[in-house]
Amino acid sequence: MESPAEIDGTPPIRLVVSDDLGRSRATVCFRLLLAIPHLLWVSIWGLLALLVAVVMWFAILFTARSPRGLHDFVARFLRYATHVNAYVFLAANPFPGFAGDPGTYPVDLEIEGPTRQSRLKALFRIVLALPALLLASALSGPGSAGAFNGYVLTVLATVAFLGWFAALVRARMPEGLRDLGTYAIGYGAQTTGYVLLLTDRYPDSSPARVRPAQALPAHPVRLSLADELRRSRFVTLFRLLLAFPHLVWVSLWSVPATVAVVIGWVATLVTGRLPQALHRFLAAYVRYWSHLTLFLTLVGGPFPGFTGAPGRYPVDIEIDPAMQQGRWSVLFRGVLAIPALMIAGALSAVLFVVAVLGWLAALVLGRMPHGLRDIGATSTRYQAQAYAYLALLTPRYPYSCPAVAAPPEPVEEESPFALPPEPEPSAA
Amino acid sequence: MTRPVAVLVAVVAAAAWVVVAWLLLPSVVPDGLQLPPVDVDAVFGAEVVDRAEDYERLYLVLWPLSVVALLATLWLYAKRGAAFARESAGGPIATGMLLGMLGLACVWLSQLPFDLVSFWWARRHDLFEGGYLEWAFGSYFELGATFLWICLAILIVMGLARWLGDRWWLPAAVAVAAIGALLTFASPYLIELDTEPLSAELRSTAETFERRQGVDGITYREEVVSDQTPLANAYAIGFGPSKLVVLWDTLLDGRFSDGAVDVVLAHEIGHHSGKHLLKGIAWFALFALPCAWVLMRLTRRRGGMARAEAVPLALLVVAVLQLALAPAQAWVSRRMEAEADWKALQTTRDPRGARELFVGFASTSLGDPSPPAWSQAFLGSHPTLEDRVAMADAWAARTSGADAP
Repeated sequence: MESPAEIDGTPPIRLVVSDDLGRSRATVCFRLLLAIPHLLWVSIWGLLALLVAVVMWFAILFTARSPRGLHDFVARFLRYATHVNAYVFLAANPFPGFAGDPGTYPVDLEIEGPTRQSRLKALFRIVLALPALLLASALSGPGSAGAFNGYVLTVLATVAFLGWFAALVRARMPEGLRDLGTYAIGYGAQTTGYVLLLTDRYPDSSPARVRPAQALPAHPVRLSLADELRRSRFVTLFRLLLAFPHLVWVSLWSVPATVAVVIGWVATLVTGRLPQALHRFLAAYVRYWSHLTLFLTLVGGPFPGFTGAPGRYPVDIEIDPAMQQGRWSVLFRGVLAIPALMIAGALSAVLFVVAVLGWLAALVLGRMPHGLRDIGATSTRYQAQAYAYLALLTPRYPYSCPAVAAPPEPVEEESPFALPPEPEPSAA
Repeated sequence: MTRPVAVLVAVVAAAAWVVVAWLLLPSVVPDGLQLPPVDVDAVFGAEVVDRAEDYERLYLVLWPLSVVALLATLWLYAKRGAAFARESAGGPIATGMLLGMLGLACVWLSQLPFDLVSFWWARRHDLFEGGYLEWAFGSYFELGATFLWICLAILIVMGLARWLGDRWWLPAAVAVAAIGALLTFASPYLIELDTEPLSAELRSTAETFERRQGVDGITYREEVVSDQTPLANAYAIGFGPSKLVVLWDTLLDGRFSDGAVDVVLAHEIGHHSGKHLLKGIAWFALFALPCAWVLMRLTRRRGGMARAEAVPLALLVVAVLQLALAPAQAWVSRRMEAEADWKALQTTRDPRGARELFVGFASTSLGDPSPPAWSQAFLGSHPTLEDRVAMADAWAARTSGADAP
């Protein structure tokens, strides 16, 4: 959870993605069954790796360094587990090998050799790892050591569930979903590597850690990040209570907002565009809801205003003006939004963990850890995109890649779930 | 407005204030009622009096200390609190709300040690049964409810101040009183959700008392608190169609006789027949008006209540005003409680039951029958137990012409 700015050099456990998004329908269809041998093997290897890690623990306590052979054995296991995770959760296509060889799989791990470690950090490793394990369990489930787990509420399981349908239909994994999945796998691998004593560098939850850098296409609902990470300890202490008036207000506002969505749906079906007044009203609601979420989860520092005014909050949601929308897409908007809402729901668990950990960290440090802030901000951004899509503020499907910043060149995202928007009527 | 006109308006307003207060004062308690002396040790029992005095002694020390801590905290907050405005990304009113809530959070922290000692003391005397964790969580979330109220108050005051300038104080006082009235009216419906109907026998008795006091349409409920405290209590709330009387189940667990319970019922009905809830709201409005004016004047040095920076100072001013008015408010409350006691005696015609009730309160609630005058002046919302027993004796003497029982 340290800031990248504070970390010298590259992290010792790095996720490298070279997947081309192509998926074989046949292997996708039977992915879980095909993975059975790997699941058995990874479980056996995992037990052995755990025993070896215990030996490494004693070695580090005495010599401040783990023996090369033991380190390589555990590193190979972690790499193999990552391959299996990527295969099972559809983040990659090919059937992985059983040896965990480096450079052999499109979702791979680069792990540095044994280095000098702090004895004290090693002594309390399990305790120190608890926050990272908590976040990893929200992202990829309690079995983030590599074994498959059926914890369907996690981000990774939700991604795999939705990706399964998309890949079956299109023989291709949606890029945003793949990126979210690889991020979850990468953080799980970092955490497991930390627990198994491959490194004493704390897992970094910043989405910017995945290589190559994930692309974030231009989107009508965007995140604007100008937060300085400083948090007032006093305001942090009473954060939940301070949000009470906002919680009351957002509940009251939700009633007319729901009515506005229904009216807007009818109007957009008729005119192909959400009326400007409704767009303004609903955009303010979505923005306000996001400000409140950011405040509650400590992703945002200051107390938000009650109006959802744009540009007032340091972690803001920018929403483009109303645009022409495809009527078919509008007609089925409620159904089309279900996958996005499922991901948004899974990200709520991540936000909850971010809130708990961020609260403790901000209370002690007086600042929000960079990585936690970033994953919280991107989770909120996705939720805002999902709600904006549902509320007809945009025809663009939410993009689930957890990257914080947009790349220099905009990339057009193809949504597997959205019907293509109707073309803008050309001027006569 | 020229100075003479302003003086004239002030005089007229003050006269109107006095007239309204005078209209609210009448009571059924006979004027010049002489309360006979009560031998406290003999009536309440020397051991009970000693225990009650011992129990109350701590509070007599804690209360002044907590007031000093409160005022010191708010004074510091008034000087430094405005700096928290940088923690807000909202407009002036949202920032004012944040400053108001943080001010209350400071107060909560400053009062926490005193509250903790009070809770420990009450537990030590078996007056509360909850654990410390439960108490801490309860206290924390009670603060959340307080935050909601301060936000509503700041929304009204700052909203009006931004709209009307320095004239905000008049409509704001009226609005706050109106909200108080709305809550008094509506809260019985919420209380009914968390309480049980009173037994048919007690309801029948209550209906008889209603007829005697010339009031009707009261709902009666029983509230289960015996899992938290052995203290016995009852209260009346609501007005118009929402009139409600609630008896704690600890009052009905056999420690008090039927006669004593009847006195409680008649006392609470007396609050409704005496329109004490409405009078309480009227008194609140009467006090709120000058307080709002003083607040307006004193917060001008911070730019007035339209500015969020004035909120920390406003909290200090409100706390000082509350402290200054506490004796007057307590006096009004005691006057209404005395009237309800008198009505209960008139209704039940059972001074023995009343006596038993008040003597029972001393042992079950460890209430000091004759607390120091200063604490009674500031904190006494009810007449002292000694005075309540004396009133029962006085009623018996007036009615029968005989000595008290």
